Amino acid sequence: MDTLVNVAHGFGVALLPINLLYCFIGVFIGTLVGVLPGIGPISAMSLLLPVTLSGTPESGIIMMAGIYYGSMYGGSTTSILVNIPGEAASVVTCIDGHQMAKQGRAGPALGISAFGSFIAGTFSLVALMLVAPRLANIAIAFGPAEYFSLMVLGLVVLTFLTQGSMPKALLMACIGVVLGLIGLDSITAQPRLTFGRMELIDGIGLVPVVMGLFGVAEVLLNTEQAIKRDIINAKITQLLPNKADWQASAGPVARGTLLGFLLGILPGGGAVVASFASYALEKRLSKTPERFGHGAIEGVAGPESANNAAAGGAFIPLMTLGIPPNVVMALLLGAFVIHGLQPGPLLITQNPGLFWGIVASMYIGNVMLLILNLPLIGMWVQLLKLPYNILFPLIILFTILGVYCSSNNVFDVYVMIAFGIIGYFMRKLGFEPAPLVLAFVLGPMMENNLRKSLILSQGDLWTFVQRPISAACLALALGLLLAPLLPALRKKRELVALDEGA
Amino acid sequence: MNDQTNVKLRLNNSELWGGLIGLALGGFVIWQGVKLKLGTINDPGSGYVLFYTGILMCVFAASIVISAITEGGPTLASRWENVSWSKPLLVIVCLTAFSFALEPLGFLLSSIPLMLLLLRLIDPVRWTLAIPIAALVPLGMWWVLKRLLLIQLPSGLFGIG
Repeated sequence: MDTLVNVAHGFGVALLPINLLYCFIGVFIGTLVGVLPGIGPISAMSLLLPVTLSGTPESGIIMMAGIYYGSMYGGSTTSILVNIPGEAASVVTCIDGHQMAKQGRAGPALGISAFGSFIAGTFSLVALMLVAPRLANIAIAFGPAEYFSLMVLGLVVLTFLTQGSMPKALLMACIGVVLGLIGLDSITAQPRLTFGRMELIDGIGLVPVVMGLFGVAEVLLNTEQAIKRDIINAKITQLLPNKADWQASAGPVARGTLLGFLLGILPGGGAVVASFASYALEKRLSKTPERFGHGAIEGVAGPESANNAAAGGAFIPLMTLGIPPNVVMALLLGAFVIHGLQPGPLLITQNPGLFWGIVASMYIGNVMLLILNLPLIGMWVQLLKLPYNILFPLIILFTILGVYCSSNNVFDVYVMIAFGIIGYFMRKLGFEPAPLVLAFVLGPMMENNLRKSLILSQGDLWTFVQRPISAACLALALGLLLAPLLPALRKKRELVALDEGA
Repeated sequence: MNDQTNVKLRLNNSELWGGLIGLALGGFVIWQGVKLKLGTINDPGSGYVLFYTGILMCVFAASIVISAITEGGPTLASRWENVSWSKPLLVIVCLTAFSFALEPLGFLLSSIPLMLLLLRLIDPVRWTLAIPIAALVPLGMWWVLKRLLLIQLPSGLFGIG
């Protein structure tokens, strides 16, 4: 009963005209960046982070959330029609989606991807609504040791799932922690690594780091070679999947939804892992696995449902524990902090309007996406024809403006350009930026919790193992760190390893 | 990977360089940690976490160096094989020049040439399209930010913008 009252309260907030407008802008921009290869939700969210300042916290966060799940919808359009993933979570959709389009079945591929996404998105919201308040009640009992261990686990999971060698990913995570610690020490107020620059007293901003590593570096990589686009030009008709399509897709949608939601909750996991895992699962369960890669609708329905369910699930650790499970959620945490809010176990009780308003807006956003995506396919296709040589200078200009507007400080533009160049060389040498960014956000929190637990336990390191939740997280993290030493597990890791930053 | 692109103990082994840079950074972080005071385990100081993170960085970087020596790694040149490396280099040069020009020249006088250079140098867009885009987009953005959102953009020594 309480849940229903809360949901009604949430809809009261989400249905305010201004919040509806922000929700629409969010899902529209999300679809747009999902459709356009070369810009992902991370770049778009960091670009729009300063815009959230102009409205209420609800409006800003509703818009940011809309960009995230909107991009999951939009990414599939590019994968199916152009064979280039609009964003990382749609990489798998290219395999069978584009084959279906080549066989003249672009309509059902786009249709099942939109309906699967809608079903999964709705399920994950219901689950978020039911799970989050209960988990928040448990999380109140968490101490600094549990928080520290959970963050360690999150970082280790992300490094485990990052492409390339694990020592490289771990080195990136350490560099992220160090960068996060630049500025005044939160306990002693002593300046650290500021080199006498006043601009560094408050630390380096998240926006210039993310925009540099993901926005500018991505542009530099894309300019190296001409992006070839194999756009399906045939008129797209019959977007509604037929009965046979539905029969083939029902199982993959259900399994993808459940799997995606569970993987989304895990720290370090997310939409990209979920889509890969769902594809692998469907191929393994299929009686005719040889159809996969040649236009099997299950290969579109499963991963597309999984990535949307994961996008919803990822809100749980952020909203209940205050720990962002991936880079996108780290940006959302940035939006909360800008408004002076701290997500965590007390958010739901102290700011019920905000929490339930965001949840309700996600229902509305999912409906908007369904309405927006199917009839506007033609417009998205036209947009895909915009040449990259015109698009990339615009992206660079928007990133410069986005970074400048976030702080009104030219120094941040220099930081962004520097990180863009560093990010480009990092990628060329096989170092992925995702662990660095997550560690950059988690670093100060990790340090704070580590020092607090050491002070509270009077320097007793056993405090991390004597507490069951903390011990379980550390054991799991240790297991993942040692896993690549076993050849069989190393192979498995290489299969699921991914490029989160794409 | 062939013998030309996969090398072991050679100076052009890109993995080796990645690891060595990591080692140098780790060493620097350890030094900074010590400088900031480690404190004790009961009462960790400002440099405590930095110091141990630096040690971890050295361990991971050393493992990259060891694997670069024992297993080999791609050469630096192979990382830029079959791609046009001059294009990102040009973008980097343009962005660096822009960062130096932004404060003295202001947003408009620095971003219009930046746009024009990016549109013309990398994958040339025809002049009739490049000039209007390079002029109108920064002007439009400047107008929206300054007039509608009341955000002050750098106006430079000439006070333009």
